[in-house]
This record gives sequence, structure tokens and C-alpha cells, in this order.
Amino acid sequence: MGRLALPFIDPAVFDFWARHLNATWSWSQTLARVVERRVEAQGFVTLVLKPNRRWQGFRPGQHVNVGAEIDGRRITRSYSLSDAPRADGCIAITVKQVEDGKLSTHLCQHARVGDVLSLGDAFGDMTLPAQPTGRWVFLAAGSGITPFLSMTRALAEQGMPVDLTLVVWARNRAELCAADELRALSQRHPRFQFKAVLTREAALQPGESQGRISAETLAALLGPLADLGQTEVRACGPGGFVATARTLLAPQAHGFQAEAFTPWTATPTEPNDAPAHTVQVTLRRSGRTLTLDNQQALLPALEAQGLSLPSGCRMGICRTCVCTKHEGTAQDMHTGELDTETESALRLCVSRARTDITLDL
Amino acid sequence: MTAIKDRILSADELTRFGAEIEALRERTVATLGERDARYIRNVAKAVRYSEAFGRVLLMVGAFLPMPWLLGAWGVGTLALALAKILDNMELGHNVIHGQYDWMGDPHLNGAKFEWDIAGTSANWRKTHNYRHHTYTNIHGLDEDMGYGVLRIFPEQKWHPAALFQPFYAIIFALLFQWGVAIQDLRLGRLFKGRKRVAELMATLIPVGRKMRRQLIKDYVVFPLLAGPGWLTVFTGNLVANGLRNLWTYTVIFCGHFTTDVVTYPKSVLKTETRPQWYVRQIRGSSNLSGGFLLNVLTGNLSHQIEHHLFPDVPANRYVDMAPVVRDICKRYGIHYNTGSMAKQFGQVIWRIVRHAFPSRPAVSRRLAGASAG
Repeated sequence: MGRLALPFIDPAVFDFWARHLNATWSWSQTLARVVERRVEAQGFVTLVLKPNRRWQGFRPGQHVNVGAEIDGRRITRSYSLSDAPRADGCIAITVKQVEDGKLSTHLCQHARVGDVLSLGDAFGDMTLPAQPTGRWVFLAAGSGITPFLSMTRALAEQGMPVDLTLVVWARNRAELCAADELRALSQRHPRFQFKAVLTREAALQPGESQGRISAETLAALLGPLADLGQTEVRACGPGGFVATARTLLAPQAHGFQAEAFTPWTATPTEPNDAPAHTVQVTLRRSGRTLTLDNQQALLPALEAQGLSLPSGCRMGICRTCVCTKHEGTAQDMHTGELDTETESALRLCVSRARTDITLDL
Repeated sequence: MTAIKDRILSADELTRFGAEIEALRERTVATLGERDARYIRNVAKAVRYSEAFGRVLLMVGAFLPMPWLLGAWGVGTLALALAKILDNMELGHNVIHGQYDWMGDPHLNGAKFEWDIAGTSANWRKTHNYRHHTYTNIHGLDEDMGYGVLRIFPEQKWHPAALFQPFYAIIFALLFQWGVAIQDLRLGRLFKGRKRVAELMATLIPVGRKMRRQLIKDYVVFPLLAGPGWLTVFTGNLVANGLRNLWTYTVIFCGHFTTDVVTYPKSVLKTETRPQWYVRQIRGSSNLSGGFLLNVLTGNLSHQIEHHLFPDVPANRYVDMAPVVRDICKRYGIHYNTGSMAKQFGQVIWRIVRHAFPSRPAVSRRLAGASAG
């Protein structure tokens, strides 16, 4: 029906009037209403969302770009979906409040039931196979637990068809997400073990241990690492955590897959007057990655690589060359201003990449 | 012609002048936020509500007894004209410039926005955002200088047909949206044999599709919805489109065709620096003095000078930037061209009439053009 009506419908007009009836009705945008908010652990808030009909669904382990308007700007970050797919179509994200994090602060502190958020399509390939079997190990640090909450819940709903060990690193007990639920699941499903590793907790309780990720702690938790030859290992957490897990386990395990996240920071890691070096420019739509230098404007640099791009004034006036920057830091060559925001509109003719950058080209 | 002579700025003065203009831009952009988002959404609301009000009134009015019918027709037509003016100017023109891209709202995205006018926003981005705003008032590059139809400046070549331009300027005003719609087709080049028919057809398809959509909407779908009252709706839509055409034509012509604006030869581009580009934008534009209502109804083209200096800064900020720009201009001896709409449009009419006849640029004017660049 949509395709038939399209020549006669202006999506902006449709959305304007549809919003008067239902805040999440939209012709062209995936929107969701917050239907439940609960504090999951210290510093973690879970928001249950009811998406509109444009939402395509997801597989456990995937993430989604979530956007909210803060001071007039739509700020977008990606979050793992933390619940298993539900019969009522609702989805959940579990957000850890990051210091100076614009969206995480908003979602944890200010988002309320009834608020409307924008969604992208679910993405990510750290997911479960259709018929999971054998032994699985999930290693999570901090908010890296969120994709495993979804996968563990989905496996539990399937009657736990695998031997699963979930190990979660947190600073202390108060920061453990869904600990009661996971413990209950481990009692109900003998094939599921839940282990918490607390790095800064004074007194440990049964089932808890201490220590950062290392060969010793992993051996204590999982048994001899050499015996993991039939085990599928998945890890999610900060970059350093994932790198260690990869070094120690990837050679031993049957399969190893990991996702690292670097907490978004307002202050770019790159100093303003960084010397010339090369950066990786990823063109998401064409699936290419180019190596460019960090001094030249992106437009001529991309053209030199053989790309044919729309352009006009080439001085930052006409915005013909504007393209969405998914992530990375860009610098306005005219004002020196740094743009660290995700999903921002970038004028290629007067911007250069200061870090690795992903563009919608 | 113009008797105004700008001070010739030294290289050092030009640099400082440019830095002051850019500092103003940075100060303004740094404070964009909630208030600007609310403003542009309120404009969008005004467009939708006045359009709905106007269209409903035209349809209902068609079935009312006589004096009431006329009243409903008049008010409905004015409301629809207002909706179209706001949609084209304060909403469309400004959003298509990318002024509100920073909001990240897909409905206010400059690269995607489509408006209620015959021309496609894609062509507008090319003829207006790029050519007109980059090459403002440069002969042979800025096609807005008379739109290839009118002779506004003595530097344009005179032709006997120009004698009739005071008459066809009025026709052009009434059909302004169609003139803008076909601007990028550059039909003149076809007639001069500099463009091939196949090339024209490729650009014609999206333009034709948009024109058809607009015609079907205003002259088929909505009149049919009124059934036997179709004529009331049809004429109301026709007049609303006409009023919008007249108003946008008047406002836009006031922006660059007043007496004291300076035009430039192509040669300025060879050596033009960024501060000189700012000077050209200021001297090539003229403002309209008025209040909030005039600013909104002209899409803030009442601040044409500020718009040309900062085409991607949200237009609702121009009113605060204008006194600063004016002060900078005063200190650097650059003429700041502003006046009432009556005064500015009077000057436009005089140009259209005067240059219907053969004319030659005054010597001082040629020098001003050459040196200011």
C-alpha cells in the first residue's frame, strides 16, 4: 500500500498529522515509545520500548542506533538490545550512564515512560546460530553484558540447548545487571552457569570471585584453557578487555567472536594540531575502506581515490557535498572546530578526518 | 546610478574585517539549540495549520450562500497563500540551505527537504545554494541576475525585446514559480544550440514530474474533493499560488536589484579572497527594514545581507546578527544597503523600466565593481 500511495503522500505532511493521533506513528521513521523504565543496577537503567510498525525485529546479540532530542539536537548512540525477542513486540535497551555522555545521561536520568525515541535497524553479527549446540562461554565486562542478557534469555526460553557459562566482570555487586534473574536461571537450568567477578568488592559471596581478566582468572573460572577446543567463546566489553580475551582464548577456542566498545568521549583523543598521519576512511554504503592523510580536505582526498562525488562551491557555502558522518572525529578546516558527534552532517569540502572515520558514501 | 563609493580596504583591514565576520558566525553557531529547534518547528506547524484551515474553508465555503461564499473564499485563499509563502520561504528556503541540519531531524534535512512549489528542491540546491550563493552578482555566472528574462543591469546586453520587459516582468511575476522551476533547464542554451535535446530530456523528467504533481494536487485532486464546489476550490488555489508568486518575486527582487547593489565581472574570481567574498556578498545584497512579521513572511530575506554572509546559519538568528554586521560595515566603510520594502521595490521597478532601454554602466560603477572584488 505504501508504494501505491507514495506518489501522493508527502512523508513530512503525513508524519505531522499522524503525530497528533499517536506520537510514534510515522511514514518514514522508526520510532518507539518508552513503556517501562527500571533501574537495573547501580548506574544502569533498562528502558522497555514499544516500536512502531517500521521496526523490522532483531536477533539476540544485535544492537540498534537509538536517538533522542537533547537541546534541539538528535543525539544517536548504539545500544545492545538486552531482552530476548518478545511476543508483544517490545524491545529493551540497558543503558549505562557514562560520565559526560549526552545520550546515556539523558536516557538514564531524564527519559520517562511516554517519551519517544528514534531507532535505526538492528545490526551486528555476534548472534546465535539457528540451532545452537555444544559448549558456550560468554565473557562480559561492564555494560558489555547487554548482548549476553539477550542471548542468555533467548537460550533459556529455548530450554537451554547448550552448556553455557556467563562470566561478568563488574566493579562491585551493586553494578551487576540482572544478577537475581541470572542466578534464578542458573538454578532452573543446570546447563547454565553464572559467575560474577568483582574487581573492587570488599567481601565476596559464594559464586563470586575477584581479579582482572588473565590466564589465571580464566583458568579458575573455565577450567584449563587447553580444554576449550570444542567451545564457542563470545566476549564483549571495553577494548582492552576484549583484546586480552582474544589473545588468551582465540587460539584455544573452537570459535571466538568479540565486540569491543570504546566509550564515547567528548574530548577527542587527537590533539588539535596533530602531525600528519594516515587515517582509515570507511565508506559504509559502498563497503570500501580507504587510507587517507589527516591534513587534506576529505572531498579532494576522496576524489583523488577515484570517487565521483557531488560538489559545488568547494568553500563550505552551498552544502552540495554534505554527507552523514556515522562516527569518527572531523575538523572544520576553516574554524578548527572538532566534530566528534555521531550521525552528523559533514561538509566534505572543508572538513578533514582527524581520526578513523565512517561516512555514508 | 549609484553614487556610493566603498572605502578601499588594505590587505590588513580586509583580514581583520573577515575575522570579525567569522567570529560573529562562530559566536552564533555555538549557541544553537532548543530555541532554534522550537522556532523552525513552529514555522512548520504554522504552514500545516494554515494550509489545512485554508483548504477546508475553501471547500466548506463552496456550499455556503452568496455573501458567505465570497468571504470564505477570500479568507481561505489568503490562508492557503500564507501557508505556501511560509512553506517556500521561512521553512523550505532555509531548511534546504541546511540551516537546521544540526538538529538531525530527517524532516528538516537540507539535502532531502521537498517543498510546495513547482520547482524541485534538487534543482534549487544547484541554481540557488551553489550558483547564486557562490557567484552572487557576477555577470555570466549568477543566473538570478534577471533570470535570463529581464535586463536589470546596464552590463547585460540590450536587445530590442527588452523594450517590452516592463510588461513581461509582470507576467514573469505572476508565473514566478514556473520560471524558477525551469531555470536549471537553461532553455536559452538549447535555443542557442549549446545544449543538446537528449541532455535536456534527462533534466526535464524530474522537473516535469514535480510540476505534474503540483498541478494535479491544486487543480485536480482538491477541486474534485469539493465535488460540485470545485470551481471555488480551483480558483482559490489558483489565486493562492498567484499571490505566493507575486510576493516571493517582490521579496527576491528586492534582495539584489536595488539601486546601490554592486555587480561584478567574472575576473574578480581570479584573485578573490574569503574576506573579499564577504564584501561581495554584502555589496551585492540589500535588506528590507521591518519587524517580526516582515521577517517571517519574507523567510528572513529581509536580512538578505546576513543570509548571504551566513547562508547556513538558522535564519531566525539573522535579526540578532544584523546590528553587529551593520556595525562592522560602518567601521570598515562598507555600504550597508537597507530600506523599507516600498523604497527598495520602487528602485527595482525603476531598474526594470530604465534598462528596458539601452543603457551603459557609469564609470564610477565599473570602478567600484572592479575594486571591491
